[in-house]
Amino acid sequence: MNVSFAWLESLVPHLDMTVEEVEERLALRGAPVEGAQCLGSGLEGVVVARVESVRPHPNADRLSLCEVNTGAQTLQVVCGAPVIQEGGHYPFAGVGVTLPGNLRLRRAKIRGEYSNGMLCSEKELALGRDQAGIMLLTGEPALGQPLSEALALDDVRLDVEVTSNRPDLLSHVGVAREIAPGGVRGIELPPVPGAPELDLQVRTGELEVAHAEVGIRIDEPGLCYRFLGVILRGVKVGPSPTWLAQRLRAVGQQPINNVVDATNYVMLEMGNPMHAYDLDELGGSRLIIRKARAGERMQTLDGVEYEFGDEMLMVCDASAPHDIAGVMGGIHSAVTPGTKDVLLECALFEPKQIRRTRRALGISTDASYRFERGVDPEGHLPAVRRALEVILTTAGGRVDGPVLEVLPRPWKPYSLKLRLARVKHVLGVEIASEEIERLLAPLGFGVMADGEAVAVVTVPGYRSYDVTREIDLIEEIARTYGYDRFPDELGPSRLTTVPDDPIFGLEDRLRRSLAGAGLLEATNPAFAPESEGDVEISNPVSSEDSHLRTALLSGLLRCVEYNFARGARDVRLFEIGTVFRRAAPGDPPHEDLHVALVVTGREGPGHWSEGGRPVDFWTLKGLVEDTVADSGWEGSVATSVMNEGGPGPGGGSSEGPRTEGGEDRVAPDGRLLVSSCAIVLSLSSGRAIGAAGQVRPDRIDAPAWAGPVWAMELRLPRRPRLDRGRAFRPLPQFPWVDRDLALLVPAHLSAARVRAFIQRCGGALLDSVTIFDMYRGAGVGEGMRSLAFRLRLQAWDRTLTDKEVDRVVDKVVRRLREDLGVEQRL
Amino acid sequence: MRDSNSLIATLRTIEDEALQATRAATGTEELERLRIRYIGRREGRISVILRGLREVDVAQRPAVGAEANRVKRVLREALEEREADLDGGNAAEAIVEDVTLPGRARWRGGIHPVNQVVDEIWQIFRGMGFVRARGPEADTEWYNFVALNTPLDHPAADEQDTLYLKDSVLLRSHTSPVQVRVMEKYPPPIRILAPGMVYRRDTYDATHTPAFAQIEGLVVDEGVTFVDFKATLAEFQRRFWGPETKVRFRPSFFPFTEPSAEVDVKRLLTMKDGTRVESEWIEVMGAGMVDPNVLESVGHDAERYTGFAFGMGPGRIAMLKYGVPDLRLFFENDVRFLAQFARGGAS
Repeated sequence: MNVSFAWLESLVPHLDMTVEEVEERLALRGAPVEGAQCLGSGLEGVVVARVESVRPHPNADRLSLCEVNTGAQTLQVVCGAPVIQEGGHYPFAGVGVTLPGNLRLRRAKIRGEYSNGMLCSEKELALGRDQAGIMLLTGEPALGQPLSEALALDDVRLDVEVTSNRPDLLSHVGVAREIAPGGVRGIELPPVPGAPELDLQVRTGELEVAHAEVGIRIDEPGLCYRFLGVILRGVKVGPSPTWLAQRLRAVGQQPINNVVDATNYVMLEMGNPMHAYDLDELGGSRLIIRKARAGERMQTLDGVEYEFGDEMLMVCDASAPHDIAGVMGGIHSAVTPGTKDVLLECALFEPKQIRRTRRALGISTDASYRFERGVDPEGHLPAVRRALEVILTTAGGRVDGPVLEVLPRPWKPYSLKLRLARVKHVLGVEIASEEIERLLAPLGFGVMADGEAVAVVTVPGYRSYDVTREIDLIEEIARTYGYDRFPDELGPSRLTTVPDDPIFGLEDRLRRSLAGAGLLEATNPAFAPESEGDVEISNPVSSEDSHLRTALLSGLLRCVEYNFARGARDVRLFEIGTVFRRAAPGDPPHEDLHVALVVTGREGPGHWSEGGRPVDFWTLKGLVEDTVADSGWEGSVATSVMNEGGPGPGGGSSEGPRTEGGEDRVAPDGRLLVSSCAIVLSLSSGRAIGAAGQVRPDRIDAPAWAGPVWAMELRLPRRPRLDRGRAFRPLPQFPWVDRDLALLVPAHLSAARVRAFIQRCGGALLDSVTIFDMYRGAGVGEGMRSLAFRLRLQAWDRTLTDKEVDRVVDKVVRRLREDLGVEQRL
Repeated sequence: MRDSNSLIATLRTIEDEALQATRAATGTEELERLRIRYIGRREGRISVILRGLREVDVAQRPAVGAEANRVKRVLREALEEREADLDGGNAAEAIVEDVTLPGRARWRGGIHPVNQVVDEIWQIFRGMGFVRARGPEADTEWYNFVALNTPLDHPAADEQDTLYLKDSVLLRSHTSPVQVRVMEKYPPPIRILAPGMVYRRDTYDATHTPAFAQIEGLVVDEGVTFVDFKATLAEFQRRFWGPETKVRFRPSFFPFTEPSAEVDVKRLLTMKDGTRVESEWIEVMGAGMVDPNVLESVGHDAERYTGFAFGMGPGRIAMLKYGVPDLRLFFENDVRFLAQFARGGAS
């Protein structure tokens, strides 16, 4: 909320604080000041001047020549405004003055006539939007007076952040309660200059009340708790006096006319929204507070026409709505310069109803903002009195009859029990009941001791929305006591019953491992376009982000494109993030954690002694193997060839995973990867959990110089197994023997299978089998390759003899030939 | 028929010749040439001899084969040994012309800067006895609002503009639902930290992204007071920002805590010229004592248990800590940006 410092000063006679001190105080009371703006800044040198005479410019139709009296001298000024009043007071900027927007004025010759400065519009002074006319100054400002002084612009506008629980702070009086010495007792409404004595009578009815031919009726007592109306006759609607216009301008509001401005002034000062109707425009001279009839329409003050639903609350005359209750008035009964008689409204509506209505209509106003948060139920009569003082002083007229009050639900003051032991229990500090009274009374609370251990606290109406429980009082005590006064003493604490979620440990491990392998971690928001998503967002920020991703890789590929576009050839990224799949209707979507990576460019940053090698399938495979090893899946993860061009992992080789439905779809699939070298990762159950391979060139926007892009995506287990049951094995005491075998392996037989076979038939002496070479070409038949295996043999209790080694190797060679048809290459 | 003995003799001659040449070799390229010449698979001299094996009497073939394998192994080992020597494995013989030439580098990978901050925060709370907990990112209005004392028709519910999926299912607008899920499942004492992604209907600008990381914390036990709350979180701030950091607690409002606070820090910064200056107060955390309604909504006795909760944005903290001016940089994934936070710093 915008707060005028001068306005605060006028409410608190003994306010002895600087702007900075007020900012500090409000921050420590929970209403921080987001910004402070000196209103008059930038207007140095602009003064009040009187236009003594106006005559047409001899050489230009649209210009005029003005004799401008600044008090010190009279100058000729060329002016382009259509209407200039002789004898009128205007802001004047002389030669040498710099206007907002850094416009420095010089003596200029315009169409042959000298201009010694400039008469200014609101826009040129950055005071408002009006740029058509020069800003006519009302009242009797002194010639030569600085404009900022004449307009009371020597004020500071504070942008106070008010949390949604504190509607009482949405007024100057409310803010003053937090800063005034002595709180509520230190606040006095400044008298309206020239205000008449008011002797107000109130006529109250439960659902209906009338005076003369004017009547007010509430049809929805559950939605409108209180409605005050006053009739004013014979007002003279016109511009507000300077003091009133300036109060409004100081907080960023545009003055409209003296009656409307008075209602806004009272709302900003005291917090109760008000509305003024042109009484002559109310059919049947009555106001009825009722639900809208479906399809009823009304044009509001801002010129927008709305159609209402029957759940919305309206203030209507005998036939039609004139006000969206608590939100905005209608244009038809608005107070205009032609208005003679006025009906002034000050009401209390059910907050949720106002919220529903204004949300349904998609509007928010100063009034609705206050009503939906909660307006002081006790503030209505003082607000009406204040508004009448302002209107009668600035617009004249007279009050006709009593204040008409319809009151279906009178406000019942209440009090809360406060246990002093509970205060200590929550706050950790003992606070005596006298201290509590000293803290709470300035905010308007009544504190009475009820024995040693309990205090009874009466809550003022304007705090009835946020203070309804004992804990709310305890918060008020802590707030007013001062958070900074609580000691900073770290006490002991007990160990928690909650276990650390192992998924975090898994993420940590993968991050470290992939970062260690030279990849940079990326993060992408979980949004995806419709083509890549399964779960729809009903109110997305944009159509590209209308769904939730089912996989990470598309996002990572966009990152690769982004980096390609900036000239990066070597891009190595990984991401760990949540993906979403549609679940049963009404249920939240299924969520899974995935890890994905992309690599392109060179294997390493290169060295001056040798050239850089591009990453290839085997770089990717190595990353895949490491990632799978760290992924925490129970049991082994198998690698198989991806089904060619198919919709997802499945099929492929005889050892491949079974085809899965959409439920278990894991990107990337054959649409994204080059099928000739794409692999699928699957559990022993056959369930696919990931895939890897080269990204199809048509799926990535890559410049000509870019190398192939390699990618992997892997689903992570919901219950990862982080500890693989490691146990120590004694180290061998005797030397090992290596034997190499070159085998002619047909293409259909995988290296992994041959290796596993050797391992199996090698017996206890065979310690390990590694593949160290592959050869294809001359000497090796068509459809065959020569794979070199190194068999390491090792006994735990002796040095092996050649004979023993030969026996094992011979057996392996024989079994390979007999069972797999694999021959040794000699 | 060829004589096996002559083949074996030839093999031994080749062995002698090759060993001599290997010992004399002065570079890895020369070694590679020798390897191809002697034990290369196609044109290597031993391979050529073995190809002539079919002209040898079947009974004698194994002897020749075994000898050929032996020679091949000996030569391979000799070549490897020599290569290791030439590679500088033997320090006494290594010659380096200019030690200022750069070494053989590896790519420097790195954890995302926001996740590095998450980890740093976690390490501090871990030292204070916290464990990590998580919850779904797509959740229900009940967990995101209602159980957190935020009625759906209260203005507080739309202060965070929420992204909805369908009906009452939404993308969580804060990590606070994890509080409720943990309290439903475990009895006090509770001391958890819950990092995770949250979503809001914000458009991208320098300080907003529609998805961002958040870290929630919750402590519930008997006898937890406002003093514990303040001391724990002030201690965290000092451990994170430095021991000279000033910490300020200001009243604020969150529907699920009461009293509520914003936590500000004033950092002591070291300028380029070595002078130390205090920063402005910077808002770094929202926090408060757990509202009794939240404890009651999960069935805990609010008279018996008290607690505190807090939330912070590691993205915002990373901006402050590293001087990153725009939150969007964290989502652009420009490798030049990410590499600044890689192992060993900028590369």
